[in-house]
Amino acid sequence: MKTPMSEEEHEMTIAEAEPVQATRPDTKLTVTQLGKTYVTGKESHEIFRNVELTVEPGEIVSIVGPSGVGKTTLLRCLAGLLEATTGEIWIGDRRLAGPVPEMGLVFQDYSRSLLPWMRSRANVALPLESKGIARAERNRLAEESLAAVGLEGAGHKYPWQMSGGMQQRVAIARAIAYQADILLMDEPFASVDAQTRFDLEDLALDVRRRLGVSIVLVTHDIDEAVYLADRVIVLSGKPASVVDVVEVDLGRERDQLSTKALPAFAEARTRVLRQIRRP
Amino acid sequence: MNGAARGLKSLAEQAWLPIVLVIVWWFASDWWWSTTTDSKKAFLPPLSRIWDAFIEEAQSGDLGVNFVASMRNIALGLLVGVVVGIAIGTVVGRSRAARAILNPYLQFARSVPQVALVPIIIGAFGITWVPKIWAIAIACIWPILLNTVDGIRAIDPAVRDMTKAYRLTSGHELFRVVLPAALPQIMAGIRVSLGVAVVVMVVSEIYGSTEGLGYFINYEKGLYRGPETWMATVLVGLIGYGLSLAFLVVEKFTLRWYHESAK
Repeated sequence: MKTPMSEEEHEMTIAEAEPVQATRPDTKLTVTQLGKTYVTGKESHEIFRNVELTVEPGEIVSIVGPSGVGKTTLLRCLAGLLEATTGEIWIGDRRLAGPVPEMGLVFQDYSRSLLPWMRSRANVALPLESKGIARAERNRLAEESLAAVGLEGAGHKYPWQMSGGMQQRVAIARAIAYQADILLMDEPFASVDAQTRFDLEDLALDVRRRLGVSIVLVTHDIDEAVYLADRVIVLSGKPASVVDVVEVDLGRERDQLSTKALPAFAEARTRVLRQIRRP
Repeated sequence: MNGAARGLKSLAEQAWLPIVLVIVWWFASDWWWSTTTDSKKAFLPPLSRIWDAFIEEAQSGDLGVNFVASMRNIALGLLVGVVVGIAIGTVVGRSRAARAILNPYLQFARSVPQVALVPIIIGAFGITWVPKIWAIAIACIWPILLNTVDGIRAIDPAVRDMTKAYRLTSGHELFRVVLPAALPQIMAGIRVSLGVAVVVMVVSEIYGSTEGLGYFINYEKGLYRGPETWMATVLVGLIGYGLSLAFLVVEKFTLRWYHESAK
């Protein structure tokens, strides 16, 4: 039986461990029979068809494929920015019909998605303003989210005063502060140097571990896809379709050196690569 | 060398030529005026007389009254032009349909020399100061409006995606994202309008008015008072120059992010 004291302590540890999100996210993303066709005049151009995928709460799913295969188009559909031609996307028990507050987007080009006329704190807090959250609470969430991505005390800096890696951290902080259950990332680490890239990959793992969010990651980097994901969806062909789903059995704790040296990592990596390079 | 010394040095570098020119003007015009018998000399007074006229008119208060009237016209005219230009520019910039319909008219309106409208406006609405504000405003609208349209259309699609994905309210989208993003172009439009405003201010006051520096210039010319005419003309030039300097300062602050992020 619990004493009132221990209950209080218990609450405190939860509050400390999860500064930004009050409850563990439990939103499941389900995609069925998704297809997208662009029609321009008489010509129609099918991008992908019959895409099926499920992302459980707390899972990281990578979508890989050769460049130009339609990964970004798929992610834009998942984000509700683009209407799919066929199939359905479900967020929990609601059908997606446009952007929803459960999803936070992290773009490839941080320099274009962050607003240069706002300090990084204001960039992170802007979506919260639209949510109608009071100023003090907004600033608290923004500062906490910046701290969660390792940018404690950098809220007063403008994006252009920061390195590329720091800017992408701000973009991730914005998605965290938005209290999204699912982070959609479109080639998020493609325009930073290799060392920064490893740091940001580990940051993504850390965010998942601490906040319990799920992540859908679009990338063309097979190592990155395997290193981060619980499952890799391989897109290929014209029109693209899911050619393979690789379960990555590497556990949740991963390390740039030891994880990448494991036979299971090499196995998954080889399998994905073979699927992509298949003529 | 420290900052203050460097500032003084650059000031000295920029200031020596105008100072030399004024000194040369002062003595050369005195010499020419006292030796020539040219009948045009009434309208080509020496700088010393122009200066005397300035002191005299400034002390009598006439110059002050006209200066204030001109500044009021230009300030209110610009204000109306900026507000209306940005407002219409925003609507047109965000609506493909509005652009398709309005574009030919906008291009035509821009091509009309704006001072040509002064007789119509003053003829229709009279020689009081309010119609002059309309004349200045109408002339200033076009560069601001068209630059606002361009600025809004040039916004990166990635920014649109961000505002949609994060479900910004339309108010936040407009005032926190769209207008700041277009601000560099809007400011460039306002800068063009400053020059236009000075021209229309003077012309509208010369054409039909009972006050203002344009009126003063025209009135003194009618009395064959060369120094007074010159003095007010130089003053108008200095107003134009002063406005663009002041605007540069404002721009430097409001667009700091733009200049810094482009580095």
